[in-house]
Amino acid sequence: MRTIFIILILLIRTSIFAQVQVSGKVTDSRDAPLPGTNVFLKDSYDGATADSLGHFSFKTGIKGIRQLSATFIGYKPFLKELDLDSARTIVLNIVLEELDEQIDEVVINAGAFEASDKKKAVILKMFDVATTPSAQGDIFGALQTLPGVQKVGEDGRVFVRGGESYETQSFLDGMQVSTPYLSKMPDIPTRGRFSPMLFSGTLFSTGAYSAEFGQALSSIVDMKTNSLETEDKSSISIMTVGVMASTTKCWKSASLSLNGDYVTSGLSNVINKQQVDWTKSPAGVDGTLMYRQKTGKTGMFKVFGTFNHSSSGMIYPNTQTGIKQDILLKSSNVYLNNTYNGMLSEKWMIKSGLAWNYDHQKFDLDNDQIGTNQKMFQAKLQFIHNLNEQTELKFGADWVNFSYEQNIRMDGNYRLPFTNNELSGFAELEYKLSKKFATRVGARMENSSLLGETTLVPRLSAAYKTGNHSQFSLAGGYFYQNPENDYLKFAPQLKPEKATHAVMTWQYQTEQKTFRVEGYLKKYADLVKFNQPLATNPLDYSNTGSGHAEGIDLFWRDKESLNLSDYWISYSWINARRNYKDYPVSAIPTYVSEHNLSVVYKRFFEPLRTYVSVTYSFASSRPYHDPNFSGFMNTKTQPYNDISLSLTYIMELFGKQSVVHLMVNNVAGFDNVYGYNFPNTPNAAGKYESTPIKSPFERQIILLVSIML
Amino acid sequence: MKKLLINLVFSSLSFIGYSDEAYQKAMTQSIEKLFQATTIPEYVEIANQFERISNIEKTEWLPLYYASYAYIMISFQEPENAKKDQYLDQAQKYLDQAMAIEPNESELHMLQGFLYPSRITIDPMNRGMELMPEMNKSLDKALELNPDNPRVYFLRATMMFHMPEAYGGGAANALPLYQAADEKFRIFKPKTELSPSWGKEINDAEFKKVQEVMQK
Repeated sequence: MRTIFIILILLIRTSIFAQVQVSGKVTDSRDAPLPGTNVFLKDSYDGATADSLGHFSFKTGIKGIRQLSATFIGYKPFLKELDLDSARTIVLNIVLEELDEQIDEVVINAGAFEASDKKKAVILKMFDVATTPSAQGDIFGALQTLPGVQKVGEDGRVFVRGGESYETQSFLDGMQVSTPYLSKMPDIPTRGRFSPMLFSGTLFSTGAYSAEFGQALSSIVDMKTNSLETEDKSSISIMTVGVMASTTKCWKSASLSLNGDYVTSGLSNVINKQQVDWTKSPAGVDGTLMYRQKTGKTGMFKVFGTFNHSSSGMIYPNTQTGIKQDILLKSSNVYLNNTYNGMLSEKWMIKSGLAWNYDHQKFDLDNDQIGTNQKMFQAKLQFIHNLNEQTELKFGADWVNFSYEQNIRMDGNYRLPFTNNELSGFAELEYKLSKKFATRVGARMENSSLLGETTLVPRLSAAYKTGNHSQFSLAGGYFYQNPENDYLKFAPQLKPEKATHAVMTWQYQTEQKTFRVEGYLKKYADLVKFNQPLATNPLDYSNTGSGHAEGIDLFWRDKESLNLSDYWISYSWINARRNYKDYPVSAIPTYVSEHNLSVVYKRFFEPLRTYVSVTYSFASSRPYHDPNFSGFMNTKTQPYNDISLSLTYIMELFGKQSVVHLMVNNVAGFDNVYGYNFPNTPNAAGKYESTPIKSPFERQIILLVSIML
Repeated sequence: MKKLLINLVFSSLSFIGYSDEAYQKAMTQSIEKLFQATTIPEYVEIANQFERISNIEKTEWLPLYYASYAYIMISFQEPENAKKDQYLDQAQKYLDQAMAIEPNESELHMLQGFLYPSRITIDPMNRGMELMPEMNKSLDKALELNPDNPRVYFLRATMMFHMPEAYGGGAANALPLYQAADEKFRIFKPKTELSPSWGKEINDAEFKKVQEVMQK
């Protein structure tokens, strides 16, 4: 009996010690070895790592049927049942399949450029926006280095795909901003009100955007304000154009940021030779408050408030009337907005907001006066419902109350007021048929109390992945926008203007490289037309204008091929015609140049601790109307060229981390002419004498020193 | 007879099953190998070993800690940025699993703080601004959980040393931090034999280097 036990024990022991050898090779589907693959028996320590040729080999004392697992980063885990009693040696060829997650899911993006600090793969980061030299710290300036945007040097606003600047609507956290730009002097470029430092991302769509956005014929810019701050910080900046200070205080689930600045170009106008006769150098005071509060697990409550007060004065050679005008401009602006976003349940999300914008500007023209007040109030409510993994439903409504009043004192007193209540609703369904194919169907309805019109329009888009990093998208829709305030104040019987977009995009994108080509067709209808500018009779205005634009936009960005450098190139070709305003025939509008090119290059020079950015911009000739010749829009300007440079030097000042930032616009001193002004009447010789419209400065240098406290 | 058989079966089972002793042995060997590794394949091999251990020892955070550590070390060696991020994703995955097991472990928060600098080197201009505060948060948390964790002091000192003087770094600023780290390493006793205890040698070497730089 005893012996049997001993034999039994021995048997068991030997069977335990009779090890099985498991070996083989791991490859991918193209037969390339995958060194480093972890091959092992599940729930055991027994296993091995594939060597440089993909070979592995290990011994195990385990018996029975066990799961063999092979795992490698970026590949699907491999599982196979092994009968370890079947043989003393087991040889396996393992083929691993690439993981689907390596292929990013399809994203609907026709027409849209996104700048974000959160997502990995975006076209621009906010840091890029802040350091693009030609932009001079202006978000709208940075957007002008993207394709689809025209260079209109004397204006400074964003002109998209043959559209005027008012056709681009600005939003802040999804809420409308009725006055995104600083008040503008004639022929002097303006800039955006908001500092790029306040934002963590911007969505810029040059066409065929979501039904969530309305009242924009051409384009939308949605700026996303910074989320909850996590660090207390303060800084002061001294610039050749003023002073700036900011401070941030954080609590457990809330943060408060305050920014203030005083900007004056007095000193700068002395340093940089001016081509404008200033009687009062542009100066302004700004203040911004941002409060963020996390509520519950997912809720975020944001308050944003900003005010600006600015003034400037100049002698304006009004060529039309042939007299030099003394113009004084004073303006005040307040913008407040608060938003709340949060999950109502696992599948329902709410987004809501209130916004208020007040703008007052007063022009003194010699002895005449024009004062304009604008007030906007918006309330918006939106729900997002995840029906299932593939389907998302978005719907919402917003109400905008806008009132306008202009008081003119010019050979008598005139008052031009109007009020409009715009009620809108939208719904959009996004459906992902697969990881490769997504569609979005939406509709938007708008009703204007002033125009007495209701519009209902569809918006459609679809995207299909053509490869791991590439996709093809199509989008289109109808877009309405009320006529500009300058026409509505005379003629409230006008109807909304209308645009139709069709956009086709192919994009290749990795984290380091982006290539994008987009073709579009755009048709305009019901544009405002009149016989003569500033006509006061409402019947002089009609919605009989029309136009079209078609073009190709190219974008290429590469962050890795050139050592330590990052660059992007934008090129746009456009063919646009319009018959609107007082045009006698269909013609290319003055702000359209057929070819636009921007090259932005950035590099950090480690030994010099300096970040260098250069922008080169080119725009082909723009048409203008010369009354000395027959025909309409009969002449063209010279092409536009600009090289701008910025240097950012990081150093320690008084023991504090500091940044010195130098910006130089038009380094090469190109003498760009944007167009010509002509008098209404010819001189004694019967000739209309032209005055060129130029930049207010030949070259502009701005120096900024910022100290972190 | 029956009893004996049951006993036998059980003893043989425990033989092929994994006793605490086996875990100790496997871990000790693997940790030793980990700190001898110098090349990427060596680190991958040892990380794989830790992953296998973690598959069985589902309540132990240590195998995951070391697997994550190995991938962070790999990321420092990998020249290609896209791959570097992939390795760090893997390191983060193990670290997240470990955190789920032991959310209040100082060493895990320290390791999180050790992971960020590698992420930052991929795109310093963009990621620096975003991740430096995250790193500081992790290190603060690690210190809050264990004010005597010497590796936190070591990492802070190293970051300071390698940061240009212009940014408030440099040898002079780093010296007192290395000093503090050195003191913490001297009194440090790992909780168990398997607990993280690395960093003293490299801190000694860096400390010496900084002292030399200062003397010049």
